[in-house]
Amino acid sequence: MSNKASLRPAPVASEHTPLKARNVAFDWSGTPLHWVPGDPATTHTINVLHLLLPAGERWFVHVYKQVLPSIRDERLRADVIGFIGQEAMHSQAHDDVLPHLKEQGLDPTPYTAQVDWLFEKLLGDRTLPPGRARHWWLLERVALIAAIEHYTAFLGDWVLNAEALDAKGADPTMLDLLRWHGAEEVEHRSVAFDLFVHLDGGYRRRTRTWATAFAALVFLWQRGVRFFMANDPTLLEGKASFKEFFRAGRQGVLPTTGAVARTIPQYLHRTYHPSQYGSTAQAAAYLAASPAATAADARTRGIA
Amino acid sequence: MTTVLRSRRLRAAVVATGAAVLVTRALRRRVKDSPLWPMPALEQPISGTGRTGTGRRELLVVERAEEAEGVVRLRLKGESLPGWEPGAHIDLVLPSGAVRQYSLCGDPADTGTYTVATRLVEDGRGGSREVHEQLQEGTVVTVRGPRNRFRLAESHAYLFIAGGIGITPILPMLRQAEREGVPWRLLYGGRSRASMPFLAEIEKLAGADGDRVTIVAEDEDGRPDPAAALADAPPHSAVYCCGPQPLMDAVAGLLPDGLELHTEAFAPVAAGAGAAGGAFEVELRRTGRTVTVAEDRSILRALREQALPDLPYSCEQGFCGTCRQHVVEGDIDHRDELLTDAERDEQMLICVSRCHGERLVLDL
Repeated sequence: MSNKASLRPAPVASEHTPLKARNVAFDWSGTPLHWVPGDPATTHTINVLHLLLPAGERWFVHVYKQVLPSIRDERLRADVIGFIGQEAMHSQAHDDVLPHLKEQGLDPTPYTAQVDWLFEKLLGDRTLPPGRARHWWLLERVALIAAIEHYTAFLGDWVLNAEALDAKGADPTMLDLLRWHGAEEVEHRSVAFDLFVHLDGGYRRRTRTWATAFAALVFLWQRGVRFFMANDPTLLEGKASFKEFFRAGRQGVLPTTGAVARTIPQYLHRTYHPSQYGSTAQAAAYLAASPAATAADARTRGIA
Repeated sequence: MTTVLRSRRLRAAVVATGAAVLVTRALRRRVKDSPLWPMPALEQPISGTGRTGTGRRELLVVERAEEAEGVVRLRLKGESLPGWEPGAHIDLVLPSGAVRQYSLCGDPADTGTYTVATRLVEDGRGGSREVHEQLQEGTVVTVRGPRNRFRLAESHAYLFIAGGIGITPILPMLRQAEREGVPWRLLYGGRSRASMPFLAEIEKLAGADGDRVTIVAEDEDGRPDPAAALADAPPHSAVYCCGPQPLMDAVAGLLPDGLELHTEAFAPVAAGAGAAGGAFEVELRRTGRTVTVAEDRSILRALREQALPDLPYSCEQGFCGTCRQHVVEGDIDHRDELLTDAERDEQMLICVSRCHGERLVLDL
């Protein structure tokens, strides 16, 4: 084996699986505001997902629709088509939580309007001349999505294994949303990276977009937690703090700081491939038992 | 020399530190005042506003009653249900997965329950049988909507014409017209008085002025006569008709000039890819091509095979929304479960939805 070959991203073949969107539905009427009982800090840290994902995943779909014609590999094309549908459903499912938060006195609109601006305007199509500039911006966004998907796969794998949430009595509907979503993220974790490699794959672009994505995620996340803690109608002096984050990590209800730090060398390693982390079998097992996913399957079979 | 340099450096350092302290303070204050400073926001936010009301929810059957012979009335309970106006319907997702649409016939002010009534159709597709047999008190059923394609427009007078179970969307309209004091008349036909739902309530609404309501039971009085009702209607009244297709066709045929007709078929097309639909043509306005969609092909497939192989799509079942397209012309036969009423005016999901007529023009 030459040195060069060993530095290429190496997929684990057995982790590939055909992808399809699932027509899930969640009923939020029974979910309390602090759905991790007695732990508003953890609840709101995870709630930030509902702020970022509706606009973010809608943006993934928007970008990937434009990329479809450039894909020259039939299997990757089928993967991307399945990916698009799954992301569209994630976006819809998290979007449906927002009115529920509003009903409980925690109006997320000031924050989500900014996230909408970020994805629709700042990261939107912009007015670029057709040709190189437009292509460059498309590749840049494809690479950004690959970097973000590294984190969604990391979080998906984490939530599938976060038994501490069950032990703490977290709301089963919310857990099912997170784990259905997490399992699909694990299931399709290679698609965004494969697409990036198929279209470009440059290491400099990989590091550059990773740095942007990571910084943006940290910025948006801490801001989201502060926003929720400050506006939670049931908290008198709601404040977000790193102390709470470390504490929750130790208890297993949030990822540990160490685990988050380890994602950095993983993604920046020359031979990184998403299939090296997480387990497709575990994701499939959860989807086979998830109340939302099984109900979606029954609906699909019944209609067809 | 060195002292000058040092004092200059010192000054620069002091100025820099001072500036840094001021900036941090100002930032901290602003961030504290408003944790969301300083990022622009989209003027019309998209997230969290789109699908409220048309999403799915699980409701509990809290009351099941025989409203008339062969007609079952169900009350479905949930929390803070979306509001609705007379003419609205909901989709019931039955235990088998089949989807059927039923008009809401309860009181819109009641935000805790929805009421629907269904007639058992012996030779139907099995949906009504499932409702009658499977949905008992205590059953949980999935509901989508409500949606309204039969809205009660403002008018100075109404004529309502209902046939059999077609009374369900009309009943809340009667109540609203009565409450608002708009003059109305009703022609209500059915097979027999015993089989006609909501007779007691309607007769109560008619009150002493018996003229307003004409009830025609086929076994006693023969067929209803829409011609007479239409002739008696005040000029420019709005006519709302719901019932079997022959009745609605007859009303449309007899409609005098000056009256405005609104109808709703009470056996609308089923959602899903299985339902048959005829062949039709799709014109792609921007591409400048026309594609024939065979009856066993979706628009999406036909377009991908014959004209645009890279058209985006994903679920092919009408829920993910990837294949959404704008429609320039044509009567859309919506079969998806995603779009809102407003979106349905000019958009469609081409993976499942079809065309009522012979031609659609898409902005592609």
